[in-house]
Amino acid sequence: MLRGAEIVLQCLRAEGVDLVFGYPGGAIMPLYDALEGSGMRHVLTRHEQGAVFAAEGYARVTGKVGVAIATSGPGATNLVTGIADAKMDSVPLVCITGQVRSPLIGTDAFQETDVFGVTLSLTKWSRLVRTLDELPAVIAEGFHWARSGRPGPVVIDIPTDILKATREFSGAAKFTPHARPADAKADGGFTDTVVALLQQSQRPVALVGAGAKLSGAVSELRQLLDYLNIPTFATVHGLGAVAQESPYYLGMVGMHGTRAANMALHETDMLLVFGARLDDRVTGDPGRFAPHARIVHFEIDPAQLDRVRPCDLPVIGDLAETIPAFHAELRKIPIHSTSSGQASRKTGETWGTQFSDWSEWRAVACGAERRESDPRGLAQPTMRFLDELFSRLPQDSVVIADVGQHQMWAAQRYRSNSPRGFITSGGLGAMGFALPAAVGVQLAKPEACVLCVSGDGGFQMNIQELATVHRLGLPIKMVIVDNKYLGMVRQWQQLFYQRNYAETDLSDNPDFVEIAKAYKIHGWHLNENTMVEDPVASETGNLIEKFLRSPQPELLVFDCHPEANVFPMVPAGAALSEMVFEEE
Amino acid sequence: MQAFHIRYRNTQGTLMRILNAASRRGLDLTSVQAGATEQDYHATLQMEVTSKQTGQLCREWYAIADVIDVRSTGLTREHGDQRSWASPHPPASAGVPAQSALA
Repeated sequence: MLRGAEIVLQCLRAEGVDLVFGYPGGAIMPLYDALEGSGMRHVLTRHEQGAVFAAEGYARVTGKVGVAIATSGPGATNLVTGIADAKMDSVPLVCITGQVRSPLIGTDAFQETDVFGVTLSLTKWSRLVRTLDELPAVIAEGFHWARSGRPGPVVIDIPTDILKATREFSGAAKFTPHARPADAKADGGFTDTVVALLQQSQRPVALVGAGAKLSGAVSELRQLLDYLNIPTFATVHGLGAVAQESPYYLGMVGMHGTRAANMALHETDMLLVFGARLDDRVTGDPGRFAPHARIVHFEIDPAQLDRVRPCDLPVIGDLAETIPAFHAELRKIPIHSTSSGQASRKTGETWGTQFSDWSEWRAVACGAERRESDPRGLAQPTMRFLDELFSRLPQDSVVIADVGQHQMWAAQRYRSNSPRGFITSGGLGAMGFALPAAVGVQLAKPEACVLCVSGDGGFQMNIQELATVHRLGLPIKMVIVDNKYLGMVRQWQQLFYQRNYAETDLSDNPDFVEIAKAYKIHGWHLNENTMVEDPVASETGNLIEKFLRSPQPELLVFDCHPEANVFPMVPAGAALSEMVFEEE
Repeated sequence: MQAFHIRYRNTQGTLMRILNAASRRGLDLTSVQAGATEQDYHATLQMEVTSKQTGQLCREWYAIADVIDVRSTGLTREHGDQRSWASPHPPASAGVPAQSALA
């Protein structure tokens, strides 16, 4: 006979889970009681939001399901932001919440919240467990939905009496999804059509999102892109999927994307989308998004099609299957050679002329000219600082960016070919994500250098997780880009609200190095003036080296100019071609 | 007025998820009928929607784990809308309908 709590742990192990993140409380106490001696590793964060973000970090870097545990009521509601984040960014996540005793449900009992109802629109699937008998099947089904198709968050709410009750347990359940009469999936026929469209096109481009990473199809995607040899760009979640050195790669697209990527997207007559949602930060004004293009959308989740603009040809299916099928068909048609001798399909004269000077476009795209995106130069030291950091990172490092200006600078400067090497809260844009997510990443990859880049606003949203970092001795390298403002909001206030800096001033920030010290974590300060010299002074370089190579957790506070802005910028509601490059 | 016919398994929250797809868009549900059929459950929803919303709703409903099938009737194309927002449902991938993209 096993208690319900023990059955939960057995079922988690059967799903391959050996690490969970959580925070105990009344209704979930039986599960914590069963943890002792179960062999399941539990990481105590200092807030439930820290737990769910840590589970997300673990899931994002491994591709496995992350598990977060919380108690009923406030414990469960504190998970909500992380659940929404996982939904937006397709992160496989299972949240297990304690619930008040079954007879008390619906009575507004102490710490009772309808977490099932609260999270209904944020989850891919959820259950309030009603009997101990159904518990194993519920867990099996929950994990199935979390990791299948487009991954997403699942909530399993378990009343405390079910966690305490006992029954015979013969093993974890298996879940077989019900067949639907007409599940849409690309058959082999799509390849002819895509190839035919490609042959009609004069200015084809490719846009890469997170889908190829989630499908484990990065290698197949790179082979296809090498063969296509057409201008290619990535969303923030697509960073790392395309090899940086590829001659056709134009960098990040969207609101803070490169001029080259946004202009190519605006001018194209055929857009191949590989696993991207095409949200408003990528498209700008949807009515003027790729206005001349036919869109072929490779996507696993039909619900993502036609969200902002109808696509001309949906290719529904796992990119691990559809990309190789397309590539194989493509190889059957005659190809032309470029001057570099690379296989390429024919491109029209107009496109060829427009992209005649690839080196110039790539210089902008890849940041050889930082000034291009910062005419006043106020952000130069910060971009230089990020360049200095990123260039010193060992291979297979992971960068976790929080949300705000530093996030976009980091995305613009990121230069790794590691598919899961850049992690951020992209869709939801949840400040406070980075530090706890870095905890999950470092636990998943104990040998990797994990660099957490935050702003001064976001870092304070989950600053309590410094205690988790210290307790576990995680050698996370934490950077705060400190401009003493809620920088991105301030930037918008400057540009669109007549410099009315309402409630964005953080000039009374605490001394972050002293705070780190209180958590027994060593801290450093670096002034932006250290980044003026080119190359940077050897002592500055040495400091950065020492910071990155330390076997301990370290915090580095970089003082950023308060009015530094992120450019290029596509103002909200503008077309991608209407990028802004300076303040006035 | 658009009518949507949704077959689903009556598991926890499935009907709520279906209704939520409308409420999150601020749509007024003119009529909702739901009940058991011989094999599963069937809901009929009526509301005023644009053709763009029709496509989005149908795809979002079909993405719900226990939804089996989604059909819509009474679709009216918006004047001047050259592109179709309302793809077939269940959503069809390239293959058979793909030729239309070449037209």
